[in-house]
Amino acid sequence: MSETSNLSAALVEAPAARRGLGFPVTLAFVAAAGALVPGHIGSALLLTLLTQATIGAVLATSVGFLIRQNGLVSFGHAAFFGGAAYIVALAAQGGGVSAEVVVIAAVLVPVVVAFAIAFVMLRVSGVAFSMLTLAVAEALHELMMRWRELANGEDGLPVRLPSSLFGLPVSTFQRPETMFVVCWIVLMALIAGLWLLSRSHLGTLTLAIQDNEERARFIGYETLVPRAIVFALSAGIAAMGGVLFALYNGFVTPDVLHWSLSGEALVMAIIGGARTLWGPALGAVVFFFLRDAAGSYTEHWQALIGIVLITVTVALPTGLSGAIGLVANRVRGGRHG
Amino acid sequence: MLIQILNGLVYGGLLYILSVGLVLIFGLRRVVNFAHGALFMVGAYVGYAANMVLGFWGAVACSILVLSVLGVALDRFVFRPLQKEEPMVTVLVTFGLLLVLEDVVRTIWGRDLLSFPTPAAFSGTIALGDSSFPVYRLLVVAVAVLVAAGLSLWLKTSRAGLYVRASSVDPLTTGMQGVDTERLSALVVAMGSALAGLSGVIAAPLLALSPSMGSSILIESFIVVVTGGLGSFTGAFVAALVIGQLHNLGVVYVPHIASMIPLILMVAVLIWRPNGIVRT
Repeated sequence: MSETSNLSAALVEAPAARRGLGFPVTLAFVAAAGALVPGHIGSALLLTLLTQATIGAVLATSVGFLIRQNGLVSFGHAAFFGGAAYIVALAAQGGGVSAEVVVIAAVLVPVVVAFAIAFVMLRVSGVAFSMLTLAVAEALHELMMRWRELANGEDGLPVRLPSSLFGLPVSTFQRPETMFVVCWIVLMALIAGLWLLSRSHLGTLTLAIQDNEERARFIGYETLVPRAIVFALSAGIAAMGGVLFALYNGFVTPDVLHWSLSGEALVMAIIGGARTLWGPALGAVVFFFLRDAAGSYTEHWQALIGIVLITVTVALPTGLSGAIGLVANRVRGGRHG
Repeated sequence: MLIQILNGLVYGGLLYILSVGLVLIFGLRRVVNFAHGALFMVGAYVGYAANMVLGFWGAVACSILVLSVLGVALDRFVFRPLQKEEPMVTVLVTFGLLLVLEDVVRTIWGRDLLSFPTPAAFSGTIALGDSSFPVYRLLVVAVAVLVAAGLSLWLKTSRAGLYVRASSVDPLTTGMQGVDTERLSALVVAMGSALAGLSGVIAAPLLALSPSMGSSILIESFIVVVTGGLGSFTGAFVAALVIGQLHNLGVVYVPHIASMIPLILMVAVLIWRPNGIVRT
């Protein structure tokens, strides 16, 4: 029962035979379509926006995954995103280590750190957890701002890269028409991986813990470690976003650690709807295009996004993806639509 | 050294006034107001505007008044309609409010830093041993002490205070005993909001005013509230004093890692006593 009710909204009402295959088939189709996009878009501006949106989507996916799988709302994922970006930049400053190792370490270090701090942070209730994520992330932001000798403070650091990375010329990661494809592949692979994970033992167990921790413990499960693993994985996804950002941007500043970035990621996840795996990514694309459109005729972007957040939270708790799922069911003639 | 401890007391006092507002609201509504730092900021700006016409005490009165009204509205239009939802819904909505309030203030007063002049009556310094200390900072400490004393007297002796304490232990049972928790909640949220405004206006002469000034003190007050134990008045008092000292000593002696010190304390407390330092 719990497995059915927690599959993505669009799939719940689907016939049993399609339940297993509908998602991967659709995902493969979307992934292939996306990879063809650069060939058909002439506008460099649009492609740049799409690349930024896809990197934002990776971060939003990590935040959404934590909400979906652990029921926890993080106000501090910029710490993992920005932390990874800083590791790439700082290691490039130091030199001596191959860039591939640096990239992998930039993802693994946040995973390990998140796993360790999860044992402390998960001791408190949901709302207090949100407060702590904000506090921890902001402390890291302050650290990078104040410790000028290490991270050059507000001015940030350039990301020095060798001429090739993972066998690809480094320009692949810096030109939007190729970087978009790289980011898109990473995003699609992540969503596919999370889909598999949500069907695994760990996936269903963490959902059960979220539902009723005491009952899960009573049945005989250890409840802290699975949730810590989910938190660590979520941190790792955010860190991948940060690595992509550092490679693409070529420069990191403390802005990538600021709470407003964590807040934006959360807004993306909520707008898109964290009930589904793909909702936060959709929310990120909507967020970036909305911001681009709003930027041309209003200075009140921040108030606008605040109002959108309030409206979606109150009126559309399942977000855009929930609404799409509902409409899809109507069209398909589902009785519950 | 004495000067450093006094400075820590000043910051701790401000943190206490802000945090205890969060605790009051949490006690009644079981939600955490993420817009609390924005209320602090609005209090400072309202005080800034009123100060030019009415002087310092007029500014304090104005901030308290405006923020109380804002608090009643917050309770009526946000907390009450959302009380049946998950607490996280209110967190997200108040986070949205924070973004809106910052934008409104930025529209009215601009993004440039503004400075709030130290009131003339308190602009001097007093000699302490071989060094001197600004009188205004002592006033901030005095206000914090008055708030702490007044609040604890109110909670312990008045009927409304009794209801507030009862509600923060168990709102449902308190309601069943015939306490009008809705009216009580409007009063308490107004008080919490007014305290945020008060801390904003008395902090204003010590800080530069900017629309985002609320976020860093909000984060420290979150650490205070979690370290003290969500919903504990005494816990907030003790934690605010300790974190005020640590913050200040950190900034003076280890500026690079100053922001990490309150966190380390909090982590230690969470491991040692997950429900906060003071037993409730």
